Amino acid sequence: MKFFSQSFLYDDNWPIVSLAYFLRYPNPYASHVLSCDVISREQTPTGTLLTTRLILKRGNLPRWFPKQFVSRAESWLVEESEVDPYGKIVKCRTRNLDNVKVMRVEELVEFRQTEESKTLQHTEVRITSGFGWGLTKRIETYGITKFKQNIQRSREGVHLILGLIRQSRLQPMAIGHGPFPGLPHHTPTSDCSKEAHKESQAASLSASTTGAWSRVRNWFYPQRS
Amino acid sequence: MASSLSPECTPLKTTYDTCFNAWFEGYLEPAVSKTPAERTAYSKEKADEFEQKCGKVWKDYKACVQNAMKASGLEGALQQARDEHSLAVPPKAESSGH
Repeated sequence: MKFFSQSFLYDDNWPIVSLAYFLRYPNPYASHVLSCDVISREQTPTGTLLTTRLILKRGNLPRWFPKQFVSRAESWLVEESEVDPYGKIVKCRTRNLDNVKVMRVEELVEFRQTEESKTLQHTEVRITSGFGWGLTKRIETYGITKFKQNIQRSREGVHLILGLIRQSRLQPMAIGHGPFPGLPHHTPTSDCSKEAHKESQAASLSASTTGAWSRVRNWFYPQRS
Repeated sequence: MASSLSPECTPLKTTYDTCFNAWFEGYLEPAVSKTPAERTAYSKEKADEFEQKCGKVWKDYKACVQNAMKASGLEGALQQARDEHSLAVPPKAESSGH
């Protein structure tokens, strides 16, 4: 078993960081996320929110890995989270569902508001391989190395969403009317203004589409007709 | 929003996500947080608000995904994982030294 942990302090307060964390798919830094579904969600008697999401990610097998053992380089993940808006804590656990003999990855992420109204993220990961054949250690080391590389990208994704939420709250009308300066070039922005117009029409039709999210969403998933 | 695991559920998912996220933004910043009684009342209020605004699409979306999972055999894999580790217990991220 290999273990890695890291803490990171966001300057923003807990509600906005937590919102960004749950809105992080899709973003240009997470193009490997193929699908993401909520399969259960309920409010507990104490008022916290429990969510289970099923996520499909495209994986990369190392070149040295014997390919016959893994049918495809895709992986199903289960993400379970609990949001406590009173204590200002998010706890989130993610595990892989398939290929667990080859490599079991369990990630725990926690977001807490600090006394200075900033947000502390703490991440832990445990990687265990039961593969054998002299490859166990190599697989675990590969997994940890990959995780360390990806943690930076995933944070950049959350930062990007944070920026979009912040901007949309400051200038409710500005977003959706021109390319966001922080967006990398490979983000699809075709027909942006047209789609944004359609979106604003849709938003005015339904009260449920108000809020920062519907404006942020525009950037990544313009409505298709 | 990313796609659904089943393309036929993606439109429902998009509608649901949009509805949920607007609700969630308010949920994250509760107006009251003093006594347990106030929390309970506020939580109930938020739950009712969700049911009224997003209840129907949530039901439809959930049913769509459940059917797709049954058809693909994913349901079995998920159940197996649930049996291995009890998922009924909320995830615990024990905070060790930072």
